[in-house]
Amino acid sequence: MAIHEKTLIDPSKVLTSDHLVVDGVDVSGHWNTMILPRTLREYDDKFEDHIKQYSGAENVHRCWQCGSCTNSCTMYAQNTDFNPRYWIYLVRLGLADEILKDKDIIWQCVSCNKCTNICPKDVRPEGVMKALAHWIESEGHGEKSRSTVFDEEFARQCLARGRIEDSEVMTNFFKDTQQDIKEMALNGWLGIFVARMNKWTELRKGNIFRFLTRTPIMHSLHMGWSMFFKPKTKSWGRTGEVLSQYVKEQKELAHG
Amino acid sequence: MSDTVLVVGAGPTGLSAAAGVASIGKKVVLVEKEDVLGGAPILSGYAKLVPSGEWAKDAIGRMIKRVEDNANVTIHKSTRVVKVDGEAGNFTATLSNGQTVNAGSIILGTGFTHFDSINKPEWGFGTYEDVLTTTQMEQMVGAGKITCPSNGRVPERVAILLCVGSRDRQIGREWCSKICCTVSTNLAMEIKELSPSTEVFIYYMDIRTFGLYEDKFYWKSQEEFKTKFVKARIAEVTRSPDGRLLVKGEDTLVKRPIVIPMDIVVHAIGMDPNEDNPEISKVFGIGLEKHGFVDRGEQYTSSFSSTRRGIYVGGSALGPEDIDTSISHGLAMAMRAVGDMNALVQKAA
Ligand SMILES: Cc1cc2nc3c(=O)[nH]c(=O)nc-3n(C[C@H](O)[C@H](O)[C@H](O)COP(=O)(O)OP(=O)(O)OC[C@H]3O[C@@H](n4cnc5c(N)ncnc54)[C@H](O)[C@@H]3O)c2cc1C
Ligand code: SF4
Ligand code: SF4
Ligand code: SF4
Repeated sequence: MAIHEKTLIDPSKVLTSDHLVVDGVDVSGHWNTMILPRTLREYDDKFEDHIKQYSGAENVHRCWQCGSCTNSCTMYAQNTDFNPRYWIYLVRLGLADEILKDKDIIWQCVSCNKCTNICPKDVRPEGVMKALAHWIESEGHGEKSRSTVFDEEFARQCLARGRIEDSEVMTNFFKDTQQDIKEMALNGWLGIFVARMNKWTELRKGNIFRFLTRTPIMHSLHMGWSMFFKPKTKSWGRTGEVLSQYVKEQKELAHG
Repeated sequence: MSDTVLVVGAGPTGLSAAAGVASIGKKVVLVEKEDVLGGAPILSGYAKLVPSGEWAKDAIGRMIKRVEDNANVTIHKSTRVVKVDGEAGNFTATLSNGQTVNAGSIILGTGFTHFDSINKPEWGFGTYEDVLTTTQMEQMVGAGKITCPSNGRVPERVAILLCVGSRDRQIGREWCSKICCTVSTNLAMEIKELSPSTEVFIYYMDIRTFGLYEDKFYWKSQEEFKTKFVKARIAEVTRSPDGRLLVKGEDTLVKRPIVIPMDIVVHAIGMDPNEDNPEISKVFGIGLEKHGFVDRGEQYTSSFSSTRRGIYVGGSALGPEDIDTSISHGLAMAMRAVGDMNALVQKAA
């Protein structure tokens, strides 16, 4: 049956089936739509403590829901669904499923800290937002953000060789985030960027000398060389291994 | 002209007034209808008082002893005043034990009556054993162990419902009882102290922990004792098949109906006008205000006057009041009573 005020209903609560038999009666067609109740039936009493283990959320239990954070929030001004006050409340009561409904916008916090500066209870909502974004990502509730993919590649190279190769970081980052390098170089921003860097315009104007002196030829060659031979920091040895172990231990300490 | 002051009611207000009058060297006759002194904190067995943190029996106990030990004070327990004749400076009060008291002024510290939760049947009191009032919960704290009355298990969760019998036009109670927010946040801490594995939830419309009680009680119970505050006025308390209680309501901050399992539900009961007030009004010839508390006379130059000259009223007889304030009302009334008697003596001379 048609629902007349569909805007009032959370889409995930509407069940529609093509063929529906209730108590042996075929009700397909007119009566094939059901609305699940939206009653909250449980709190997860452990959830708040769990989120508090992510750095930034240590004070979340202090919140008294005044709404100053949301009111001052840079992102809320753009999108009224971006509501730190609300998410903090959900953390306190342990309503994780409700938070996850907003997992695609929570990461948008720009860390301007307006909320933290205005909060009368020193909850530090900006930290809570960070903690939530980490929770969503590290416990596999959402896709990895591009910046995390970048960080991971960056860290991997640091640990392996004590240094990074810019071009390798970029190529792997583009690959891991399914961005087509060739397409970007030929028709996208990458081509334009490289052309500008290499003073292409000078060449087009016929200033060959200026082109040659201003183009970082050696640098490009060096980058190309490093792509294949991957130099290491001197006497790096087992440093990477030890560092990785340390990072792992710290993570375990923080998140149990 | 009598230089005796009749004090009616031996709660914090009456005890303070009696001690005050006696300390100026005047005679006091103290009349209390119950067979123990101390008023609500003693009669209902409160645990630790706000804001001092002292056990009620110790703190109020000292007030009782101070009066009992004073030679200027005559005490009548299990006694009421049945008749008052005369006028300011020269009242004659007849007591239920047949004696008469000649008094220059009369101080009323007749207090309040606890709201009876039976009058809100939808919240399960009287139906489910695990639904209690704040006074019952205070007694449990006093006994030192937090368990569900139904089967003795340690509660995983306790819900405290604020404003039970206050701020509710449905039952003709349009006042805020003033102290129950503070008492409830304090109770949440006491529960957590005795039973660390128990989570305490306070369901509120507003939190009114006035003055310094804000951080000492509200903030502390939230920040140090992890009490959770949920903005909802519970509509109904029922029982689930597994024996736990269910609190139903609307969480106004998530705009969703809630039905949450709890093990104990505590009613933060309010302060009603003393149920004797209609009788008190008749016997003493004084007026009541619209809610049924004792009415005031002129407030600014004739503080604590009732509507009849020579009779003073203070503490929770005037409306919901905390102990600190009741004690200062008592002392202020002692000042009024003695001062006015002196004025009459001077006029006569
Ligand atoms: C659950 C709860 C917890 C509370 N906890 C605290 C707290 O921790 N700290 C705090 O500051 N306040 C607390 N209060 C408030 C406190 O109870 C009152 O402020 C205080 O009891 C008021 O004192 P009172 O003397 O005016 O009245 P009462 O304490 O009510 O005393 C009145 C006395 O008068 C007697 N009496 C009544 N009628 C007559 C009559 N007709 N003839 C003779 N005698 C009569 C009564 O028997 C009683 O002894 C609490 C209140 C509630 C409801
Ligand atoms: S400003 Fe602070 S106290 Fe107010 S709602 Fe935000 S986090 Fe909570
Ligand atoms: S730090 Fe994030 S949550 Fe806080 S005001 Fe800025 S954008 Fe909003
Ligand atoms: S003090 Fe708090 S619980 Fe008591 S009536 Fe007022 S608002 Fe309600």
